Amino acid sequence: MAAAIAVTAGVPAFAAPPALDSVAPDFALKAVDGRNVRLSEYRGEPVVLHFWAGWCGPCRESVAALDALGLSSGTPVLGVNLDGADRSAAVADSLHLKSPTLVDAQQTVARTYDVAKLPLTLLLDAEGHVRASWSGVPADLAELKPQLERLRLD
Amino acid sequence: MKPKLHPMLRVARLFTVFALLAAPLAAMPSEGDTANLQTVDQDVQALKKQLIDLNRDLFKLEEELLYPASTQVAVFLSVDVGTFFALDSVTLKVDDKEVANYLYTDREVQALHRGGVQKLYLGNLKAGSHEIVAFFTGKGPHERDYRRGTTLVVDKTVGAKYVELRISDREASLQPEFVVRQWE
Repeated sequence: MAAAIAVTAGVPAFAAPPALDSVAPDFALKAVDGRNVRLSEYRGEPVVLHFWAGWCGPCRESVAALDALGLSSGTPVLGVNLDGADRSAAVADSLHLKSPTLVDAQQTVARTYDVAKLPLTLLLDAEGHVRASWSGVPADLAELKPQLERLRLD
Repeated sequence: MKPKLHPMLRVARLFTVFALLAAPLAAMPSEGDTANLQTVDQDVQALKKQLIDLNRDLFKLEEELLYPASTQVAVFLSVDVGTFFALDSVTLKVDDKEVANYLYTDREVQALHRGGVQKLYLGNLKAGSHEIVAFFTGKGPHERDYRRGTTLVVDKTVGAKYVELRISDREASLQPEFVVRQWE
């Protein structure tokens, strides 16, 4: 279902997100609060990168859980929203998100990351390497939390 | 003067040196010999420096190959003070084709304010006349959204062409000023 919706939204099908151990491509996007955020500026600490959209039910569930995880653990959680400038802010507001919601209205970053299914969650280490990913399903927090802990101790 | 080795030969030499250094490390007794360790440490530091130098040389070589001086055009951006303009993004067009679109974070803007110069674009253009257009967006005086374009027609000759986009403050009118300069 999510894949079908993603195709209609203009995201290429049969694509694959960055492979494990590869370096996540750098990007800069505007956040809903007006700040510009660049991924590489978070080097030095683990980061959770999450692609989502408001029309995707599992995404909303996932982004809220990751936002709470970010708040409790102090880990930066960057949500890349694919809804569009105006809608991104409204959806982020309705979910009371505290972590940065980045607007990828043209889906340029989504294309760079070959997002074929939503939600897509990537766990990046301090050097920006992909250490775990969940595509088309909400991130499994039971798996993510211990991996994140290990990365924070490294 | 010592002849400069080709970067590829330097890579091979560094690998050899590294292998020679790594071999005694593996066989070193556990209690260690302080003097030997210091020597090894110095060698490792020297090797690191060589690697950094080599990386720089390879980067320069790559640039020379991809962007030869006869066609090279580089556009730089600098900000002077920036009291009247908070930079958000720059879009650069060459001959009506978008070649760069850069979004600035707070840290990047601070770096520019501290005197940093950003290489916004590096590309190739054939000899002749070319139009470079830069669009600056950000916050102008009184926190108002501000968008300004500036155009420069450059006459590309056989040498490399360097263009500087400079954002400065015009105190008299309390407005930002966008200046384009060519460097030979």
